[in-house]
Amino acid sequence: MVDLFLRSGRGLVTVMAVFWLVFLVAPIVVTLASSFTSSTYLTFPPPGWSVRWYLSAFESEWVWSTFWNSVVIAIVSTTIAVALGIAAARVLARHRFYGRGAFEYAVLSPLVIPGVVVGFALLNVSVLIETQDAGLLNLIIGHTMVTTPFTLRSVWSSMAGSEISLEEAAQSLGATRWSAFWLVVFPLIVPGIVAGAIIAFTFSFNDVTISAFLSAREARTLPVELMSHIEYLPDPTPAAVSSLMIVITLAFFLLVERTVGLDVFADR
Amino acid sequence: MNGGRARFPASLATPVLLAFGIFVLVPCVMLLVKGLEPTAETGEWPDFTNVLGVFDSKVGQQALNRTIRISLIVTAICMLAGYPVALFIARCGPRWRGLLLAVVIFPFLISAVVRAFGWTVLLGDSGLANKGLIALGLIDRPIALVQNEIGIIVGETHLLMPYMILSLLAVLQRIDPNLRHAAESLGASPVSVFWRVVVPLTLPGLLTGTLLVFSLAMTAFATPFLLGGGRTPILTTLLYDYAFTLFDWRLAASIGIVLLILGILFVTIHRFVSSRGMRSYG
Repeated sequence: MVDLFLRSGRGLVTVMAVFWLVFLVAPIVVTLASSFTSSTYLTFPPPGWSVRWYLSAFESEWVWSTFWNSVVIAIVSTTIAVALGIAAARVLARHRFYGRGAFEYAVLSPLVIPGVVVGFALLNVSVLIETQDAGLLNLIIGHTMVTTPFTLRSVWSSMAGSEISLEEAAQSLGATRWSAFWLVVFPLIVPGIVAGAIIAFTFSFNDVTISAFLSAREARTLPVELMSHIEYLPDPTPAAVSSLMIVITLAFFLLVERTVGLDVFADR
Repeated sequence: MNGGRARFPASLATPVLLAFGIFVLVPCVMLLVKGLEPTAETGEWPDFTNVLGVFDSKVGQQALNRTIRISLIVTAICMLAGYPVALFIARCGPRWRGLLLAVVIFPFLISAVVRAFGWTVLLGDSGLANKGLIALGLIDRPIALVQNEIGIIVGETHLLMPYMILSLLAVLQRIDPNLRHAAESLGASPVSVFWRVVVPLTLPGLLTGTLLVFSLAMTAFATPFLLGGGRTPILTTLLYDYAFTLFDWRLAASIGIVLLILGILFVTIHRFVSSRGMRSYG
């Protein structure tokens, strides 16, 4: 009797888990499948198959121009965020000083402040100093600030502590501070840097919230432009663009999985 | 921390502090200045009428109530759904666990726009959800599942459930299997082992997940923007409306202040709770 109860309990857990796991992948599968529709409106399952909406996406000027904007913004902001993240992680891992807690709070603050507030606050300042038309610059600044906490945490957790004594050993053996950092510490924290950079790049490339506030007319990102097309254009071109974004994200996801493992997401 | 030094690491810390000071702290202070600007010409600077006005006006109050209502519902669904998923993943073999973990983590990296798009297709009038409900005989004709609160709830549940699952998995995987064996050998039935051993040990993870999901639900933007439509504003989409449709930046800044306070509040609660949790669960 207890056994039956236990087994039905386990069965119930399995059924519920499978339902919600399907729920998690459903919109992704549906987006991918409906992008190959042959009809001019979106429906699932599609009445027939074709790649015409991919051709339409590749021929659209807005897709290419905003795609390159997004790539440039993601590369530049990730680079700066990695540099800031390494510096901040070194400060936090290696030094104890008065105000260390405040320093940590300041650097992690973009995780506390809602994205709409970061975006609107930066827009407000850029209007005050009349730089609101420098869309690309504003977007790079915004993306850098919100992705630095990710690179910081990833680099910080890869500085397990062993590199401090190794670094001191290298210095006592005559290495300069720079060569001790580059030859001893840096190789040890590379996995953390790679993981942080990939997370930052993916976040920047996919972000809508901050970009929606900072995208000036001539510097829109792909997700923001896609959002306005979803709102106003009911043809399946956005489905093809969405599917391409899924594939790009999947490439980065597999890169993380193969290089540093999925645990970087699990221990948050 | 054994090699730590006591002096302030100025050469490393200064660029970081400058960046965050100029691009995060100053903008937030300017937002406060903007939101507390006097409404009337004769008013003096810290004028709280706008911030309080967010709660006073009908639109603002509705948006606030809707934000809280949706966040509570989404958090409840994430709890009820996330728990069995986490239990299921935790008891799978390593091969399956890797795959299922990927299923949980991958959607969470995909752009919120893309996911909202997938839901508009699924929940639309001719979407799979409506077809399924009609086939089951629950409804006669398609019902509106997007451009309303249902759409926001479904989208935000999808957006935030991974946080709940990952928080629960973090504690589930740390449970010593010997505890379960010990309870069983002392005569506890599997059901009471679950309720009296497993569930209490996962409470810190459940709490972390709940706070995380609730605070992120309150501040989500793209998902409610695309799935809620124009007639169901929540605080974040109302801020966007005030900024870009009505061009009332003072009111937009006031909503920003409210959201900022909520964000800080939740993190403070989280820190307080998790430091206490660590003490009592060792």
